[in-house]
Amino acid sequence: MVAGGGRTGAGAGAGAGCFPRRYPLPADEVREKNQDERQGGQFLDGMDLLKDVTENKRFLPTGVQGYPIWIIDALLGGGLRQGQLMEITGQSSSGKTQVCLCSAAHVAARHLGVVVYLDTSNSFSPRRIARMVDVFPISLVNEPKHVRLHRVMSSIICESVFDIFNLFEVLHQLELSLKKKVNNGSSKICLLIIDSISSLLAPIISGKYPQGRSMMLSVAMILKKLADEHNLSVLVTNHMVAGNGAPKPALGESWKTVPHVRLVVSRDRGSNICTATVLKHTLLASDRHCMKFAVPS
Amino acid sequence: MAGEAGGDPRAWLAADETAAVFLSRTLSTRPPILLPPPLHRAPLRPGNVVEIAGPSNSGKSQLLLVAAVQCILPKECKGVYLGGLGKAVMYLDLDCRFDVLRLAQILRNRIAKCCGSANPTNEEFAKDGATNSSFENTLFSDCMKRFLYARCYNSSDFIVALQNVHSQSQAKSEVLGVGIYILMIDSIGSFYWMDRGSQPAAESKGRTLSLQSVTETVVQTLRNFLQLQPVLVMVTKAPIYGEGFTTGNDFQRGTSKHTSEDSTVKCRRQDEEKNISCHEFMPSVWQSFVTHRIKLQGLGQEAELFSVQENKVLALHTCEWMQPSLNTKDKFSITDDGVILVQ
Repeated sequence: MVAGGGRTGAGAGAGAGCFPRRYPLPADEVREKNQDERQGGQFLDGMDLLKDVTENKRFLPTGVQGYPIWIIDALLGGGLRQGQLMEITGQSSSGKTQVCLCSAAHVAARHLGVVVYLDTSNSFSPRRIARMVDVFPISLVNEPKHVRLHRVMSSIICESVFDIFNLFEVLHQLELSLKKKVNNGSSKICLLIIDSISSLLAPIISGKYPQGRSMMLSVAMILKKLADEHNLSVLVTNHMVAGNGAPKPALGESWKTVPHVRLVVSRDRGSNICTATVLKHTLLASDRHCMKFAVPS
Repeated sequence: MAGEAGGDPRAWLAADETAAVFLSRTLSTRPPILLPPPLHRAPLRPGNVVEIAGPSNSGKSQLLLVAAVQCILPKECKGVYLGGLGKAVMYLDLDCRFDVLRLAQILRNRIAKCCGSANPTNEEFAKDGATNSSFENTLFSDCMKRFLYARCYNSSDFIVALQNVHSQSQAKSEVLGVGIYILMIDSIGSFYWMDRGSQPAAESKGRTLSLQSVTETVVQTLRNFLQLQPVLVMVTKAPIYGEGFTTGNDFQRGTSKHTSEDSTVKCRRQDEEKNISCHEFMPSVWQSFVTHRIKLQGLGQEAELFSVQENKVLALHTCEWMQPSLNTKDKFSITDDGVILVQ
């Protein structure tokens, strides 16, 4: 089992994995940053875009074939796409966090890169990750169990974020460290999970002043910029609110234009069968996709 | 003209162009653009500004992509009729949600369809499958090169991009050998809240960056560009709900459902809902700049009943011309090949 329970477990395993919160920005780096900044109005043609997508933007798996959550990969045509923002929405205890933890474990176990997990509601559980890693098929990763567990745990960086300003700060630090890592060439962050983003955004968007929505869409733009420029896949979760008749995803109409992919998970009461439905997808335009999977209790 | 005439006022009054010459000149320099349905109802010309409005999931971006494919496909290539315009497209992505794979999918399907239908008549392609696919691949990459894309993360990016559009389009059209025909913006209201939020605080060097001034700059830059180079501008616009608008509305709808199931009340509620979704949020500078308006709507539930006769269940959308106001509603569905009209 994982060393010690609770949230420090992953932190202790991570060791130096945590990205620096505040490091001074050297003068030459500032200059480089300005050069790096992509000029607005630089036009790329379709072949450049296609090349970028096929070379730099992979599909990250959310599960293993034959295992319950793998169904989501099949549903999304391969998994989470780098460069895109995906939203999972669903009612309380419908399996949102399960999908997040499972994706983090799989991406880490398959040597795909480092996972940054921003936890806003203390729902990150290293024990559940350890249990998932424990039952992985041997063929997937060929190493002793305790080595594998240590490696998986040290490539998942968990950070608690409790308000929007904290989130801005963390995202800014993340951007800086990503820019630095490009130069160093060390192992790259490939997945950013925010579970749940709506608990940070929902309190600020009500009221009659536009600043709340302005901050919400600024966060969205920062996430999409990070996703595109550093080939991150961003996974966020959203809760549901009572709508006209049926429950609907929170955060309202202006948030609807943000995610590339929207997925709704729902769970039948008293059973562990979940249903995942694609609400919006950039590629699967034609019809609604819907699949069922079981969450191990 | 007036300067050349100099002192003689009679020469100044003399006609230098007849209506017929003028018409033929206009038709040759600014030919009408035929876009695929459901955008085919009104004639569109370079210099027009088309605004496609509709809620999320109503197919706005899909219509843009289909129009882009139509524009970048050549009319004819090696004896295969493709029916495109053969010009370049510029796409400004303000939502940052453009998926190049979707564009490639529509384009590949279009090419395959045209080549497939051409196969029986063209024996060369029917004989050798390999040459066929290599022909398709070169055609595909030629078309993709005519698609020019830039993404903007905030209003200042957007303005810089618009200012660069002219120089970029000239540089690119020299390389490509064809001019820009359509400029697409997806979607115009993306930075609405960000600009509104920054209104009182952000003041740099005496110039306030507000929604009003941003829109004025955008419209002015676009106008300047259109004077230098007439292109068709296509813009999508998602609705923006005001503060507390949706919650109040939800409450009203909830109570009306419980108290009366009367159809007229329902109708009125639907009308109200429509009005709110059309609620204009862009400043009047923008509104007067737009020449054509199209409204899209997703039909949701009743759509699935409608297309049961086909083997696939497709979501239906409607498309309605608001300006010029045509009293027809086209129904369309989104498929892998693009958009199909449903009768």
